[in-house]
Amino acid sequence: MILRLAIGSLLARALTVGMTVLAIALSVALFLGVEKVRTGARASFADTISGTDLIVGARSGSVQLLLYSVFRIGNATNNVTWESYQDIATRPEVDWIVPISLGDSHRQFRVMGTTPEFFDRYKYRGGRALTFAAGHSLGDLYDTVIGADVADTLGYAVGDPIVVSHGLASFTAHSDQPFRVAGIVAKTGTPVDRTVIVSLEAIEAIHVDWQSGAQIPGKTTPVDVIRTMDLTPTAISAALVGVKSRLQVFKLQRWINEYPEEPLLAVLPGVALQELWQIVGIAEKALIGVSAMVVVTALLGMMAMILSSLGERRREMAVWRAMGARPATILSLLVLEAALMAAAGAVLGVALLYAGLALARPWVDATFGIWLPIEPPDVRELWVLAGVIAAAALASLVPAIRAYRMSLADGMMVRI
Amino acid sequence: MIGRIAIFASLVATQVYSQEHRELGAHEHGVGQMDIAIEGTRLWMELHAPGADIVGFEHAAGNADDRAKIDSAVALLARPLDLFVFPSAAECTVVEAKAEIEAETHEESGEEGGHDHDEADAHDDDGGHTEFHAEYALDCANPSAIDRIAFAYFETFPNARELELQVLTETGAQAFEIERNAPVLELAGRS
Repeated sequence: MILRLAIGSLLARALTVGMTVLAIALSVALFLGVEKVRTGARASFADTISGTDLIVGARSGSVQLLLYSVFRIGNATNNVTWESYQDIATRPEVDWIVPISLGDSHRQFRVMGTTPEFFDRYKYRGGRALTFAAGHSLGDLYDTVIGADVADTLGYAVGDPIVVSHGLASFTAHSDQPFRVAGIVAKTGTPVDRTVIVSLEAIEAIHVDWQSGAQIPGKTTPVDVIRTMDLTPTAISAALVGVKSRLQVFKLQRWINEYPEEPLLAVLPGVALQELWQIVGIAEKALIGVSAMVVVTALLGMMAMILSSLGERRREMAVWRAMGARPATILSLLVLEAALMAAAGAVLGVALLYAGLALARPWVDATFGIWLPIEPPDVRELWVLAGVIAAAALASLVPAIRAYRMSLADGMMVRI
Repeated sequence: MIGRIAIFASLVATQVYSQEHRELGAHEHGVGQMDIAIEGTRLWMELHAPGADIVGFEHAAGNADDRAKIDSAVALLARPLDLFVFPSAAECTVVEAKAEIEAETHEESGEEGGHDHDEADAHDDDGGHTEFHAEYALDCANPSAIDRIAFAYFETFPNARELELQVLTETGAQAFEIERNAPVLELAGRS
């Protein structure tokens, strides 16, 4: 009965109520959206590397090493000499080791030199292995394997030629030694999608005629001569290491960190990520705080709307009183109206959020490489929604108590 | 001109210095590092703690008193289950425990300089940092029962303020900071 009254009363004032509901909906969508992006970004990062026990690079910071070697974000770390790499590779604790060499690019995509073992060892999203959507792994010296985004964006298919550029700016091209697309890796949602993978030897090969970043004029070594050359690299950017037993990980980490011949750094990917979150966490908290304030603002707006409506509804209240409604009924009517508005706002907000996610997802994925999952709201989010409705009911107590008092004092006699 | 010579001289000096000297690790008084790895029923722990945390001084043990302090500290460190308390349901036993004191720099050469303390150091003039190092292998019959570890370590060593912890389990690696005022690691729902 009272519910029907409340709904009827809200519908009668559809425009102002609608605006209030919209304000609540937008604030709820913003609050939940911030949370979605935050957890989505974290999950994307955490899913990018799995099964790797240690990342080894030149001594820098653990976050920098992780970001550069795995996510190709941020400043380049120093290189690691091939001798040190060999030293680590021959350690008894090491189960497998995959070198990574960065520094060249193809169009807007990074080129990564590695060994074919990378495709077996690199795991993402809880242990999933890379699979080939087309073609095969690295075989020939001039083979490349490209990520799904590279293939999509540039329209490459298996067998197409590729020219790799020196450094990140594409003004100097290694056009004398074109590569061929040998395989395309199926979409992973990791930076591999945006990477052109070549063999470590190929990275050496394209730099045969280059010295300190520029091509030696007039000198081009024919491709068949390069093929006969010793293309053992002199340096790599980083290495992914798998350790035989978990119990030996820390021992190896310490050994690498104390390696006397070269300042090296070994980090546990999970720990480095956690360190990153500690830094990012402060900004995240600020973001959550701001979006929570937006929710509070919307609820205050609703309270102001109800308060200002009391004047107009004085006669309505008086009629209810005349029809036998007790002051408590009027109080509960107003609280119920507010809760209904907040509930409508919450539902609409969730709808807005999912619509927004569906629209923004491809763009966010392509631009930032963050895959936002579209899942039904989890328990935490449901609690947030319940909290918004409860807060709305609580906020409406201010006008409701006022109306309660007025209806006691006014009785039937409304003097306006 | 004299200034230039001085700069040149100092450059040469640092170069010579860097040739005969390697490097210094991070050293923060009050903060130790600890690693814990769990695989199957095996648990491996390694502790590195500044001498200041454990015995309160970092100079070479000059007298019998200092030596006695170091000896008793090493003896304490060799009993991991008293320092790091596992739930009794985990049924952990010590397979191997060794503790030792190691000088972090060439201690005998005395004045080395060039290292900064994170904290004001009114205590040592003789340059070398010492570190206690302990390695433990435990066997836990029921490792899934390890949902928390209590660090009695902080009660035993009143100068220790913090342990930076890396924990490696089946589900991956995690880092924790265990502080004196909350000396418990909660692993429930994480591992």
